Amino acid sequence: MQHFALTIIGRDRPGIVSQVTEILFQGGFNIADSSCSILGGQFSMILIISNPAISTKEDFCDTFKPLEEKNLSVYIRTLKPGGEIRTELEGDLCMISVYGADKPGIVYQVARELGERNINITDLNTKLIGDKGSPVYVMMLEAMLPEDTEVEEVETWMQELKQKLQVDISVRSLVAMEL
Amino acid sequence: MSVQEVLVYPDPRLKEVCAPIGNFDQSAQQLLQNLVDTMVDSGHSVGIAAPQIGDLRRAAVVDVSKSKLGKKQENHGLLQMVNPKIMEKEGSQIVREGCMSVPDYTGNVIRSESIVVQFIDQNQQLQVIRTEGFEAIAIQHELDHLDGLLFLDRVSSLKTDLFRRKQK
Repeated sequence: MQHFALTIIGRDRPGIVSQVTEILFQGGFNIADSSCSILGGQFSMILIISNPAISTKEDFCDTFKPLEEKNLSVYIRTLKPGGEIRTELEGDLCMISVYGADKPGIVYQVARELGERNINITDLNTKLIGDKGSPVYVMMLEAMLPEDTEVEEVETWMQELKQKLQVDISVRSLVAMEL
Repeated sequence: MSVQEVLVYPDPRLKEVCAPIGNFDQSAQQLLQNLVDTMVDSGHSVGIAAPQIGDLRRAAVVDVSKSKLGKKQENHGLLQMVNPKIMEKEGSQIVREGCMSVPDYTGNVIRSESIVVQFIDQNQQLQVIRTEGFEAIAIQHELDHLDGLLFLDRVSSLKTDLFRRKQK
């Protein structure tokens, strides 16, 4: 069955989820996977959807017109076959928490350390907390360490960045103890 | 060798308080052997308690020495425990636990850092050991099973402490 990724974003207000899912329900769509959250003042929805009767996005893109009329942006991506299936990642999950005074490049420099070593980032959230006068940047990054990479090694890489960026970075294993 | 089926919640036997073993007979020996066999057969597990294989007697086995995390720390190898009891607890730590009887989730729970545990071993000898780290966590987790407690009973928040395992 053809799957699509549907992205919807717009100023946050009550009723967005209900309007979107009503259209999907009326149109006979299944929601296979989804993540919806408030980012800044915007509400964003990302959904993997499918419908046995639909094979191209032209068949249904007009059904979202009412959302666009209400100032929501809608984007549909047609997935390649198998694109709806989460690939199984081998390795051990770890969490890298970074926080400190806001400055340019925090996300990039941490991500670069991982990307250069081919380490997969599986989840990433950032937020500005604290008051306007002294904002604190917080990033929580979840990464899948390959079998031969230990948490202690990641700590060593982050040690240098800590000095360079003058932020606090902690690394901890998210591997559950199997009992 | 007798590998037993591992019960999965909501099997009600996992929520029972187990009875002490008064008479260390052949069937108690067999129970310990079944626990060891089932633990080894499961591959990744470092411990199992009797109710997880449907036997409501106070027995559990733990062996962290083969696990990636456990072998880095001092440990007692294979522990076969009848009527185990924690005598002392010290410190506390938050750990993420997974359990064969609650296969879809992992959870953050608070455990003591070091414990003194007393039990009767497979040779019917009374043992008292002090242990810490991963082994101490594994023992606390298995002993909870003997009181009908799962890690879900120790999680303090569904929102922040319970995690669905990544899809396989």
